[in-house]
Amino acid sequence: MNAIETEGLTRYYGDLCAVDNLNLSVDNEIFALLGPNGSGKTTTVLMLTTLLAPTKGRASVCGHDVQREGEKVRRALSYVPQDMAVDIKLTGRENVRFFADLYGVPHAADRVDEALAVMELTDRADDLIRTYSGGMRRRLELAQALVHEPSVLFLDEPTIGLDVAARKRIWEHIRALRRKGMTVFVTTHYMDEADQFCDRVGIISQGRIAALGTPAELKARLMKDVITARVEGPFTPPEVDGVAFVGRSGDEVSFTAGNGREALPLLADALKNNGCVVRSMALREPTLDDVFLQAVGRQEEPQGFAFDKFRIMLRRRK
Amino acid sequence: MNGIVAYMKRDFLKWGRGRVAVVSSLVMPAAWLVFVGLALPVQFTGNYLDFIVPGILVMTMLTAGLSGGALLMFDKILGFLNKFLALPAPRSSILIGKILFITGRGLVQATIILAIALLIGASLLDPVQYGITYLVLFLFGVLISGFATTIALYLEDHDSYAAFNTMISMPLFFTSSALMPYSVMPGWLAMIARLNPLSYAIDAVREVTAGGFPAGAILLLLVLDAAFLAICLRVFRKVTI
Repeated sequence: MNAIETEGLTRYYGDLCAVDNLNLSVDNEIFALLGPNGSGKTTTVLMLTTLLAPTKGRASVCGHDVQREGEKVRRALSYVPQDMAVDIKLTGRENVRFFADLYGVPHAADRVDEALAVMELTDRADDLIRTYSGGMRRRLELAQALVHEPSVLFLDEPTIGLDVAARKRIWEHIRALRRKGMTVFVTTHYMDEADQFCDRVGIISQGRIAALGTPAELKARLMKDVITARVEGPFTPPEVDGVAFVGRSGDEVSFTAGNGREALPLLADALKNNGCVVRSMALREPTLDDVFLQAVGRQEEPQGFAFDKFRIMLRRRK
Repeated sequence: MNGIVAYMKRDFLKWGRGRVAVVSSLVMPAAWLVFVGLALPVQFTGNYLDFIVPGILVMTMLTAGLSGGALLMFDKILGFLNKFLALPAPRSSILIGKILFITGRGLVQATIILAIALLIGASLLDPVQYGITYLVLFLFGVLISGFATTIALYLEDHDSYAAFNTMISMPLFFTSSALMPYSVMPGWLAMIARLNPLSYAIDAVREVTAGGFPAGAILLLLVLDAAFLAICLRVFRKVTI
């Protein structure tokens, strides 16, 4: 049994298809749903957390159907939405205790202390949230979400609006949860974070999965490494295994290679043997950004901005 | 049940920390007590303060209820509601907890107003009478907060709700039996006042102070409460899923 399973999951807002026939299985990993704004990430999470009914298809969390067994699903998961919602007039401890009470956690006081300690908030636990930084508020939300030890954690844009250090810290915490066996489902549009911290990513565009796999797989599948070199003298394209010549512009020549790091010295030798002087070489690995752009295409809105549909969508989302 | 208590506890904690709000909500009913209750020269009764106290108590519940209507809407706008809805506690406990908090807060304010009234010369009642008075105020508070919460959820916008609040609070008060008995009202006003739900509560409290038991009014308030809670739950379900 996978922690999260969807089968033909579909959601329409009016005649706008926000999520289109989504099939996913996620288990015991950090799974990131990547996509541009309005691609259906949040809608998917809302359906999986029982906050929105699917139009078609089904989904289950820990073996419980999201539509028929809502309460069991909600018992198994925790959800941290995108907008940071913590009570600023309450202390950190009170905020977490509130959630412990709502979950009906036994030995609530101890569990609250534990959750605060895991998120490194013990020192500030009795301060009002008003005095917390953005990163601390996010960690407090994670502490709220962890207080009942869920099997599945849903995080909608967990690092949005945070500075670099705070982001890194949040991700380290997420990694630690994953090591303890929790399944983490995140949505984000920060490619570098997904690349660095997630086990598997699904790129979603217009409600459909455009690419699915580990970041390394996706990068390997969709693109090769890019090598550029500045050369002087007579140039003839060298024959090196696994390297393809792409083109020349001025004194710059470019190649693609399956494994750029290994191809780099071979290519340098081959160029020298062919009689040209190599001034500089650069190797660029494809990033998830490249994969994303290749999978999704440039995000130009083809038929202008559909205000009506957008309004319907906003109204439903509130 | 745990859920309801937890939601109420959260709101009471938050309310207690906003000192300005706690005091400011008492200023208006206290001002009515002092400046109208003590000062208005009326002929129909020898003790106008005793006459107006039930009206002011109900007005306190009304203001508390109407201003509390926006609370659940704010929880929704600020994203709290989405977090709450993803919790295993029954979803209706979010709404029930909110209505009970708004009503409870109103009762706390009404108690302070009652204390002020006693200080400036209102007559003391016996404990049973206070018990029945609180029951009436509670039932009325549930009615108003259920109504206000429904409207706010339906309007889904703070400015519209504030406008609605200003629009109805004063007219509701002036067209009730708070300030004068039906006998001295002009005919058209008496007719409106008899239909005004505020009057049910005010008349019921007056009946209590006169030594009676307002069974009819309590029954009517119970029926209205049940009806409004049902409507409110429906609107709540509709806006949350």
